[in-house]
Amino acid sequence: MHRARTVAATLIAAAAAALAIAPLAAQPPRPVNPPDIAGEWTLSNNEEDTTAQPPLGDYLGIPFNAAGRQRSDTTAESIWGTPEYQCRPHSAPHQWRGLGGARILKEQDPLTRDVKAYHIQFMRSLDWPVFMDRRPHPPAWAPHTWTGFSTGEWIGNTLKITTTHLKDGYLKRGGPQTSDLYSMTDYLTRHGDILTIVTSVDDPVYMDEPYVESTTYTIDLNSNVAMETCNGTAFAENGGTDRHHVPHFLPGQNTALTEWLKKDDWIPVEPTRGGANTMYPEYRAGSTAGAKFPASKTAVDAAKSIGEQSPRDGQVHVLPVQGNIYMVVADGVNVTVSMGADGVMLVNTGTASMSDKVLAAVNQLANATVTPPGPNSCFGANCPGAWGWASPYMNAIISSPAPPRPIRYIANTSAAPEHVGGNEKIAAAGFFPRGASFGSAVDGIGRHASIFAHENVQNRLSSASVPAAAQPTDTFFDEFQKLPEYFNGEAVILYSAPAANTDGDSLVYFRHSEVISAGNLLSSISYPVIDVEKGGSVQGVIDGLNKILDLAVAEYRGQGGTWIIPGRGRLSDTADVASYRNMLTIVRDRVKDSIKKGMTLAQVKASRPTMDFDPRFGSTTGPWTTEMFVEAVYKSLQEKK
Amino acid sequence: MRRILFLVFAAALATASGAYAHHSYAATYDVTHEVTIEGKLVQFVYRNPHSFVHVSTAGEKGVAERWAVEWSGTTQLNNAGVTKESLKVGDLVIIRARPSRVPGEFRALMLNLKRPSDGFTWGSAGQQVD
Repeated sequence: MHRARTVAATLIAAAAAALAIAPLAAQPPRPVNPPDIAGEWTLSNNEEDTTAQPPLGDYLGIPFNAAGRQRSDTTAESIWGTPEYQCRPHSAPHQWRGLGGARILKEQDPLTRDVKAYHIQFMRSLDWPVFMDRRPHPPAWAPHTWTGFSTGEWIGNTLKITTTHLKDGYLKRGGPQTSDLYSMTDYLTRHGDILTIVTSVDDPVYMDEPYVESTTYTIDLNSNVAMETCNGTAFAENGGTDRHHVPHFLPGQNTALTEWLKKDDWIPVEPTRGGANTMYPEYRAGSTAGAKFPASKTAVDAAKSIGEQSPRDGQVHVLPVQGNIYMVVADGVNVTVSMGADGVMLVNTGTASMSDKVLAAVNQLANATVTPPGPNSCFGANCPGAWGWASPYMNAIISSPAPPRPIRYIANTSAAPEHVGGNEKIAAAGFFPRGASFGSAVDGIGRHASIFAHENVQNRLSSASVPAAAQPTDTFFDEFQKLPEYFNGEAVILYSAPAANTDGDSLVYFRHSEVISAGNLLSSISYPVIDVEKGGSVQGVIDGLNKILDLAVAEYRGQGGTWIIPGRGRLSDTADVASYRNMLTIVRDRVKDSIKKGMTLAQVKASRPTMDFDPRFGSTTGPWTTEMFVEAVYKSLQEKK
Repeated sequence: MRRILFLVFAAALATASGAYAHHSYAATYDVTHEVTIEGKLVQFVYRNPHSFVHVSTAGEKGVAERWAVEWSGTTQLNNAGVTKESLKVGDLVIIRARPSRVPGEFRALMLNLKRPSDGFTWGSAGQQVD
């Protein structure tokens, strides 16, 4: 009995203890007193020189795959001189190695004084917030930035920072490139006055394994991180008069890659080309036969990461963009929505099968954003907005809000089925009020939303026997078409992109919200679909992207500002469009050079002119393969020969 | 630890650089060659992180070429006595420079600038952009 009582008491005590610690267990793991990492830090040392500026062609220790190697070999450093990159900060992996020290600030919750976020700053960086409040990372279709999106957690005395949503850049200055799919994990550990940072860069596009480096900083009470200003202008740093010039080397053209080995001729060339195997002790240049290397690989699945930017999940996802504009991702296809007091305008309507869900999302969005019950700031019949016996306050109390205004306009950026598929049903759900006095004359027209597009879109849809109700009601044939009046407080302009994906493409500019809907000119998940038979060309797509870059303005240091909604994929900005334009220009130049040398289409395909971009944008299956893309580029250039 | 071997190699190979540049000069310009650019100054952008002069030259085929020649940032230029007013649009200048590594690009890195009209010169060894 005594024993039983003892056991029971022990169990109760254990249960009580478990209950007592349960709330603590739910908290993020952290030491009782996390080390204070805030302060001014100066760069002490790392595995390389403090500036991490290797000579051209030095990829020692970088687990490059063939694509990463070629991408780096053919990248010209004067890409910095293009208007979109003049003021970009250093890429995230290089920031810890850059000159000027580091500043770490704490942002605290004023009530609990818990650290909500750390803010890390370098001389050539934007602010790098590291959120400590366990917020989730954004969806894959959210924008990427230079500093990415970071969350932190304490593991013992080490702060682990996980960063995603990064733009493409470089591991080190002057050569080794990264894709925009890399993630970065930093481990910060403080030992007295020393801060050690171990960084793992995982790029599934250009590396076979994560690249790991470490850097040491020392606290310095007397230092003060300088901020380098950048007032770059749109004039060309690269000389000439073509503001769209994209510097790059054709494959094999960069003869400087082994320049440094003339002096350091004791280093064999092979390991300087990088590669996962070269990082292991078993590796010896020229004698790797029989050596066994660990089969480690990147933890990130590139195909999955790309697919998540355009989820084919049969669902609708809404991303607020800027001003009146929302990006609606409908089963992987982007629909641009302008929402406001004048009603709703859609750029493209998605596939036919998604129409009901798109309409439901638009209605929900309209009810939530256009007519929300507002706070009362005035009481009495003389308040602004009172039209009779009652104040707006009374009206709000005794009535429900007015319904949102209907869908008035649709713009189609092309005749592609995934962009016009919902036209009929969604236009029919709209209403274009043309004025009460003329109602009878335009009765049939006014009961649907108006559909704007280039006239070749109508030609395509008409010849394909698409129902009349799904065809454009207003077409244009020249450089641009303005909506006849402001819509939701802003000008909306359709610009033609001649001979781009087809002969009928447009981009749509919302001039006050500062958003451009790019249609199929831009995709973050694939090469552009170019239908040469329907009048498309690679040069037309490049021209269309350059048109976007001419209209768009970055908010600060080459990011944000004008947002660009692609036909598929994540929300983008000028730097993303520039990156895509650069890729296309490089591929164009390579194919053009091959044509100049007299190479046939088969020979061009065999030369793999897209090799370094294929892991990012290519496909061997599906409706638009890399082979089809190369063929379209070749044919569209050949015809202009 | 596995990559210590090559990281040591890299540390030994790395070149010291005092250049406060966002891009790498050595990667941008061919330091083994020089070009001479002679023409009319059409733009002087005195700014950070780097200043630029634009020079219009006659061009090999008789078509005007617009060269962008990269110079130091404002602090370094100011320390060397070069101010916003030192050069005027329309000045005839002769520039020795390192050419871009990209073939056909009208970009160069300033080594030496002379204005024959009054003998103004920038570009002793200590002043070169490096």
